[in-house]
Amino acid sequence: MQLFTTLTRITKTALISLWRNRWLSLAATLVMILTLFTVSFFTCLLLMVNSTTTMLRSKVDISVYFNDSVSNDQIFSIENTLLARSDVKSVDYISKEKALEVWRSQNTDNTQLRDIINDAYNPLPRSLEIKTDQPEDLEGVNTFLSSTDYKPLIKEISYRKNKDLVDRLIKITTFIKYVGWILSGLFVIISILIIYNTIRLTIYARSEEIEIMKLVGASDWYVQGPFILEGVVYGILAAIISSLILYLAAQLFLPAAGNYLGVANVSTLISNISFFAIIVIQLLVGIFLGTLCSVFAVKKHLK
Amino acid sequence: MKNKIMTDLDIKQKNKTVKAEPDKVKKADESVVIEFQNVSKKYSANIEAIHDVSFNVLIGEFISLVGPSGAGKSTLVKLLTCEEKPTGGKILVAGRDISELKKKELPFFRRKVGVIFQDFKLLPKKTVYENIAFALEVCDAPDSEIKEKVPKIIDLVGLTNRAFSFTEELSGGEKQRVSIARALVHNPKLLIADEPTGNLDPVSTWEIIELLFKINKQGTIVLLASHDKEVVDSLQKRVITMKDGKVVSDQQKGKYNL
Ligand SMILES: Nc1ncnc2c1ncn2[C@@H]1O[C@H](COP(=O)(O)OP(=O)(O)O)[C@@H](O)[C@H]1O
Ligand SMILES: [Mg+2]
Repeated sequence: MQLFTTLTRITKTALISLWRNRWLSLAATLVMILTLFTVSFFTCLLLMVNSTTTMLRSKVDISVYFNDSVSNDQIFSIENTLLARSDVKSVDYISKEKALEVWRSQNTDNTQLRDIINDAYNPLPRSLEIKTDQPEDLEGVNTFLSSTDYKPLIKEISYRKNKDLVDRLIKITTFIKYVGWILSGLFVIISILIIYNTIRLTIYARSEEIEIMKLVGASDWYVQGPFILEGVVYGILAAIISSLILYLAAQLFLPAAGNYLGVANVSTLISNISFFAIIVIQLLVGIFLGTLCSVFAVKKHLK
Repeated sequence: MKNKIMTDLDIKQKNKTVKAEPDKVKKADESVVIEFQNVSKKYSANIEAIHDVSFNVLIGEFISLVGPSGAGKSTLVKLLTCEEKPTGGKILVAGRDISELKKKELPFFRRKVGVIFQDFKLLPKKTVYENIAFALEVCDAPDSEIKEKVPKIIDLVGLTNRAFSFTEELSGGEKQRVSIARALVHNPKLLIADEPTGNLDPVSTWEIIELLFKINKQGTIVLLASHDKEVVDSLQKRVITMKDGKVVSDQQKGKYNL
């Protein structure tokens, strides 16, 4: 009961002085928003690109088209040689009939073009579709197939369209990993310093108040309470605002990002990001930072 | 546990014998509440604001502490509220050396003491009402008590129409009244008034002195630091005179004679 009264009084005092010192409160909150936003922005970006890369990586493959003169046995022996390689994940044989099926399914809306190739006239080559564990391994497979032993048998080797995209994503991921983390790490350190100093200034501006409170007989925690609570409020406000900005930014830039990456359905980009988790984490970090900085800043005046 | 200091101050436990002081009529030990024992205070190597001061304060006393400005009155007050620590000697309150109060005990000690500070020490970003209520809030007084007592005391010091003004906006005399109201509102056992009438006109001055008298009659020890000769002479109470940090006289029914 007594604890409740004290808590109510501390809360009331904190809210009133937040409002009466609103410019200082605003400054502290803004700096906190900057910190939270930077960190969560880069985290989301990294998660997003990571998930896209994983998704697209599994789709990368290489296709080898054979001359019609090559026998099926020769093709199967190549298939077995490939399967024996440690970097090859799977090899699929595409017969002429299968190729025709795919051709038909790809050209349903243009019957004229579709019917140029039919059961009677099928120039589509047989092929092997090779998937590797890592996109980087495709290069080795390519070199292997391009060797003089196989060259005469092969009509064409082609990487699938995803290769470019994956290359791009790998570059972006590396960029974000190095630049992003360094940048947000730097931001966090700078922001903590700024938050600490902002709160210290707010408290310094009120050091007379602290001294008087103590002279009137306020216990340390009655003096500290409102200041710490103010720090908590900065944290909560900042987390909410930062989450809102992040949400709006996602709405605005996701379509463009999807375009750039050539991903039709942008929701897959953020499928592994929980917006709820982001808000909760920001709240926790905000409250933690606000409390920590307030406690350190106010401690100096309580000695 | 947390009431230790309060009850100490209430029941005036004494377990130390007091050194004989020739210029003072000494009563039984049980009635000694505050004891200054050879107290000195040096702010720095060459500024000694208090030098070897000893005196006792008895239960229910009204003491005027007089002396020219710079004599060390405010320093004495600060020592008594633990705002400053003595550099020599001891100050005992209810038998306890207050410089040895633990960090946790200090607030409880201060809640038993009401101080009218010479420089008011009001919370600048708070209203008159909030400033006075604060003294009760820190004592964990219930809201109902605060709602009842604060307007009463504001009325008593004549500030009802300024109750919700910020203290920054008040005149010197008004600030002084707020400071007085805050010092009184929680019925302290010891009231220390450092030049409480310094900013008041003669009529208000007498009103305040009247108030201090009334509080003293109800059992509160009053320590009044002042250099107002007229006020001190009319009181007919004990007068301790200080000069250059030393006690130069200590008389019952004394006069301001410097
Ligand atoms: N914080 C301080 N630092 C250094 N000297 C001080 C301080 N406070 C007071 N003094 C000095 O101590 C002496 C006594 O001051 P004070 O106790 O305020 O006297 P009074 O209240 O009787 O006018 C003065 O010489 C004053 O300059
Ligand atoms: Mg003074």
